[in-house]
Amino acid sequence: MPALRRHEPSAMTVMRTTAKIDISPCGDAALRVTVDGDDTDVVWAAVHRLAGWLNRGDIHPTVSAVPTYDAVLVEFDPYHTTGDAIMSYIRSWDAAPDVASAVPSGVIDVPVLFGGDAGPDLEWVAGVVGASVAEVVRLVCAKEHLIRCLGGPAASAMTDGPEFGVPVPRLATPRLRVPPGAISVAGRQAVIGPVAAPSGWRQIGRTPLTILRTDGSGHTGSDSVVPYRPGDRVRFFPVDEGTYAALLGVPMRYRNHD
Amino acid sequence: MTDRPELSVEAATACVVTDLGRTSGPARGLAVNGALDQFAARAANALVGNAPTAPLIEATGFGVTLRPSHDILLAVTGAPAEPAVDGLPHPAWSPLSVRAGETVRVGISDAGLRAYVAVHGSFDVPMLMGSCAPDSMIEFGTPVTAGMSLTLHRSHPPLVNRRFGATVFDFGIPRDIGRVPAVLDVIEGPDAAEFGTGLQRLFDSPYTVTPRINHVGLRVAGHVPQRTVTGEVLSRGVPVGAVEAPAGDELLVLMRGRGITAGYPVLAVLTSRALDVAAQLRPGQEIRFRRTSATAATAAYLERRRLLDRVALRARTAFAALS
Repeated sequence: MPALRRHEPSAMTVMRTTAKIDISPCGDAALRVTVDGDDTDVVWAAVHRLAGWLNRGDIHPTVSAVPTYDAVLVEFDPYHTTGDAIMSYIRSWDAAPDVASAVPSGVIDVPVLFGGDAGPDLEWVAGVVGASVAEVVRLVCAKEHLIRCLGGPAASAMTDGPEFGVPVPRLATPRLRVPPGAISVAGRQAVIGPVAAPSGWRQIGRTPLTILRTDGSGHTGSDSVVPYRPGDRVRFFPVDEGTYAALLGVPMRYRNHD
Repeated sequence: MTDRPELSVEAATACVVTDLGRTSGPARGLAVNGALDQFAARAANALVGNAPTAPLIEATGFGVTLRPSHDILLAVTGAPAEPAVDGLPHPAWSPLSVRAGETVRVGISDAGLRAYVAVHGSFDVPMLMGSCAPDSMIEFGTPVTAGMSLTLHRSHPPLVNRRFGATVFDFGIPRDIGRVPAVLDVIEGPDAAEFGTGLQRLFDSPYTVTPRINHVGLRVAGHVPQRTVTGEVLSRGVPVGAVEAPAGDELLVLMRGRGITAGYPVLAVLTSRALDVAAQLRPGQEIRFRRTSATAATAAYLERRRLLDRVALRARTAFAALS
């Protein structure tokens, strides 16, 4: 049974949009829609509302929209529709938000074991930031991180990064494997990885929670394998090794789950 | 009591049960995955009267040997591969009746890489978000391995008296349908301008398929166009077929298992038709990229899909008349 979630107003509901939309072909079965604007929150909100609108299936059920930060990748089957038809449809889109498009937003508390084997890059990141390890952990846990989009691999939660003041360079050579639950930073972003995968991001910690569920038991229902959606927020908090071990395998879920 | 037929797997390597892919995946952060040669997969299901999205077997690089517990109807498509029933060869790209207890061996020739085996009634396999397509990242899927059995939804009475050795069906599939060209048609990508005049080298140089080819990507070695602009690219959704130029001397062509976001610029995108070709390329093979337009690509794609529509209609009509 999916647990009930609290519906709190998200940033998406209150933005006005003055964004400019640009559409370019991406092969014969995809379009890239980019939204241009000065306010990255306005752009992001517009991108996600546009994707939600396209994913309703009004053009054709095979049309699939993938929203990220400033762009939507729209994939389609040229047998059922055309790039031109989708372009016209997008141009008819009312960019102004309405009440019906309000996106529910939940908060997820994420315990993190920082440093050591769980976060091999923590000290290096502290060096880049020019702060102590304790201060870096404090910054990571100081705010709610907005999930901007789900990225590869396997529906990773891509969030705004901590307030480090400087971008964090990626590894020159990506690691071949980071474990499930890794918390990593790069640029001005942070990411939570549900599965073991190669990564060039800087791994600072690891959560003991189980994120990926392929048996349809995820909070957001059987249409998802992870318990979060873009627009949700993440609050990290530090745990020691004992707590980490005690929490190992507990499913990740919303703070106010029933 | 139902007496559900089973397909015993006698031998298999790099073989999975798949379908056309998890089309609801990308919007939820998962790769679409599914049969890399979509045309061959669609054709196999059409030839046995299945729905286009029915689960079927994808065999990569090596063959597969199967033995049904009941009479079944199957079709083999994809890489030039002649199915043999108890050692006797039969044509691919055609419905094939196999009697209970007979052994079907599907080999793969050097002229391609992936073969598809669809069985009338299809397989009863686990689904995730409406698809059985394997996803190696989340460790979902049904590998086909020696010693296992796949449960079929139903059997099919024999259609052909094979003592006469005759093929009773001609569904209008051209004889050279399985031929794999050494040219990949691409459309210039949304970031092509970042490569300036260097982009032309993509079309002037030959490339060699490396051994690093899988569901996620196909790496080809050769001249790699360099970006003329610098600066980090914000993570964006990338389409299946995107040709990327990471550092090094190899181009990366993203296949259906790719992570849905990436930070590399997209210099070109394979056409839908070229993706089916790419699925059949073998390591060491030399290929070229050829520039085409979206209009021409769509025309070529629609021609193939309409051929499949005709095949599916003829197959359904023929099987309905016989039952």
